[in-house]
Amino acid sequence: MNLSVATLVFVAVLGLLGVGLYALLATRNLIKVIVALQILVKGAMLALVLAGRLRNAVQEAQSLALTVIVADTIVAVIGLTLAVQIRQRLGTLDIKALTSLRR
Amino acid sequence: MLIWHGLVVAGIVVCAILAIRAQRLLTSALWLAGCSALVAVLLYLMGAAELAVIELSVGAGLVTVLFVFAINIAGEDAASLPSPLPRPLSWVVVLVAVGLLAWRVLPELLPLPWLRVTDSSTFSDWVWGNRMVDLLLQVVLIFAGVLGMMGLLSERKKAGEHEEESA
Amino acid sequence: MTLILVAAMILLPWAGALFVWAAGNERPRLQNGLAVTFSVAAGICGLAMLPRAGAEVVLNFPVGGAFGDFTFVADGLGVFLAAVATVIGSLAVIFSVDYMKGEHQLGRYYAMVLFFIGAMVGLVLTSNLLLMFFFWEITALCSYALISFNNDDPKAVAGGMKALIITQLGGIGLLVGALVLYAYTGSYDIQALIANPAIVPAGVLAWMAFGGLAAAAAKSAQFPFQTWLPDAMEAPTPISALIHAATMVNAGVYLLARFYPAFHGVPGWTTAVTLVGLVTALLAALMALVANDLKRVLAYSTVSQLGYMVYAVGVGGIYASQFHLLSHSVFKALLFLSAGAVIHAVGTRDMRQMGGLGKQMPLTRAVFIIGSLALAGIPILNGFWSKELVLEAGLMHGPMWAYVGMLIGAGLTAFYTYRMVTMVFYGSPRSALHGHDAGPAMRVALIPLAFGALTTWLLAGPFSRLLSVESLPMHHIEPENTWVILEEVFSLPTLIALLVVALGLVCWWQRERLAGLGQALKGIGWAAEHSFGFEAVNRAIVGGTQKLGEALRVTQTGWLNWNVFGILAGLVVVLIVVILGGR
Repeated sequence: MNLSVATLVFVAVLGLLGVGLYALLATRNLIKVIVALQILVKGAMLALVLAGRLRNAVQEAQSLALTVIVADTIVAVIGLTLAVQIRQRLGTLDIKALTSLRR
Repeated sequence: MLIWHGLVVAGIVVCAILAIRAQRLLTSALWLAGCSALVAVLLYLMGAAELAVIELSVGAGLVTVLFVFAINIAGEDAASLPSPLPRPLSWVVVLVAVGLLAWRVLPELLPLPWLRVTDSSTFSDWVWGNRMVDLLLQVVLIFAGVLGMMGLLSERKKAGEHEEESA
Repeated sequence: MTLILVAAMILLPWAGALFVWAAGNERPRLQNGLAVTFSVAAGICGLAMLPRAGAEVVLNFPVGGAFGDFTFVADGLGVFLAAVATVIGSLAVIFSVDYMKGEHQLGRYYAMVLFFIGAMVGLVLTSNLLLMFFFWEITALCSYALISFNNDDPKAVAGGMKALIITQLGGIGLLVGALVLYAYTGSYDIQALIANPAIVPAGVLAWMAFGGLAAAAAKSAQFPFQTWLPDAMEAPTPISALIHAATMVNAGVYLLARFYPAFHGVPGWTTAVTLVGLVTALLAALMALVANDLKRVLAYSTVSQLGYMVYAVGVGGIYASQFHLLSHSVFKALLFLSAGAVIHAVGTRDMRQMGGLGKQMPLTRAVFIIGSLALAGIPILNGFWSKELVLEAGLMHGPMWAYVGMLIGAGLTAFYTYRMVTMVFYGSPRSALHGHDAGPAMRVALIPLAFGALTTWLLAGPFSRLLSVESLPMHHIEPENTWVILEEVFSLPTLIALLVVALGLVCWWQRERLAGLGQALKGIGWAAEHSFGFEAVNRAIVGGTQKLGEALRVTQTGWLNWNVFGILAGLVVVLIVVILGGR
């Protein structure tokens, strides 16, 4: 089997995506959900850089991935602020508690 | 060469799994930081040095600090409640999705050789020259993030005032 | 310079919306000032843009392969409608200073109005069909939010929902058109399609043409969707003047006029457009005859006049249709705003309770009558010239039966206009209502519009140059002198049309003697009061959509985990399709 670096990196991508998605399906803790999102996005970013590396356009891929990092960090910031607020209002981090908008 | 890559990849996946499996939130955040640091190493090995530095400082540094702060304020939520989804169903759907992805991509990926980078353009050329729109978008994003955070924090103040009034 | 003006016309109102919102409802004076400043600035840009119309791309914003370039072309058609939107928009905002005095949540009101003005400008200036769809939807959303502005009134909320759902139907047509265009040509560029419709196969072009007609009918409240506009009259009156008379409802007519060079070759399309215009003009005029709510009468008359414009497009009179659009925007905005002054003064919209208000509100009466005469098509007001041009185009290029129908419509228009004016301003007061005349800000808005209703017909020549070959190469409109265009109107058919109009007036005068005829036609009156049954069609669409929404609520469990499961299942399906398609 022709095992190249590309294949190894792709395995990392698949691993990160799989772990992140499974966590989103299985956890009910809001902070854990944010952890899972971080893992998922790292997988996507690695895939982007891998694609750029294979097409000999690493610098372009890096400049795109920069936006991913910024967006991802903003998501973490807002999500964590939200989690702190929810904990102080409702006394729990269980996502099931967030149903006050539902009828 | 290949061994180093292999070790880093294995480390990334293990860290991710441990971050998910950890019972305490603080442990989970620390494993996430480890995962992030190893991703940065892998990025460096792939030739994306600038991005690796950013990932290390922002992903492994800033975000971890934020997590630790948030967990300190919010506190641990000890009870690990069951998800509404049956566990086997979660496994099956994740494995099918990832498997299909691999099946689609691997046949095209395997024959590609890992060439040396010959791209002579620089990171700053791309960021400042070709992707000004992205930079603009990032500024807007950061602005929106700061505004959102401030809004949420002032919300707490209002709620606090309200409680004081009622008390 | 053109680039700055185009960007300013869209971005100034939007920036104004943000500032008004940020100013906060505790400071209504500041909000009034900001809204007026930004809308007037946009209006000035709109007027400054008029002499700069051209066929070339003024603003190009590449956003990658999936959306095509976001391009803006300031050609005659777009610049003219952008000027209408910004100028009448700023007058409506000025009028609101008096009309909305003391309302809560002024910020929401002004922000939505300004957001609408910017989006309307974008809608008419862009040449990217996908971007046009986005702007189209923004205008629909603003219209919905403003109809339901009094959101504790169930009638207002229902009217807003109806308008939103019906115009959404049109929006879907536009989106499908955009995707089809992209699928066949690899770009969303409208200009390419207009220059050479053959880039899309004939069968597909036919689908696009009739889809476009349906989209236009939904947006412009044409047959069979004509019933949402009267229900939209729950909006504050300046909104009715701006969105539901002068600008947004014209978007459908604009769409038909814009794509006429591409679609007129499709078999049956022009006949269908003519028919839609004719049926709408007649049905709406009949409904205006029996309505007793002042704003509903005006709404039906808007629908009817939009029918005239659609008819003109159908018979190939793009110039006549757009010229009537200009006249109608001016005189109908004038009518709505002066009706707003009446409603603001007496506190009711029911014409049966009005009467004899003329003495108490002389200025309002004067401008309302100017608007009414223009609507009825009395010489020398702008409505006369443009309506005659529409009829002229219909006689020369259209079928005879449609022309006769439109003549009858002109008579009906005169009839219901006369009825409306006498019920509101003349006769003896029917209840103890006391009116006060329009306030200072209202006057600032009313007087320029009245002046416009008296004079815009003099612009016929410059207007034809604006729409001529230099800016609209595919529409084949000859630039002419004002007098040459107006001379066409002096002919036998015009005399006949004027006779019909006069007949309509006489009928109202002699209505007591014609009582027997009235009894005989009672069935039509009853049917007109019940919207000829099309209300049921529209209600079924709205009800069906809402029921579907209720039923789909089951899928919203509130569990994040189930949502992610749904996303993953979708991903699996997409992957399977990709893998199967790749083989």
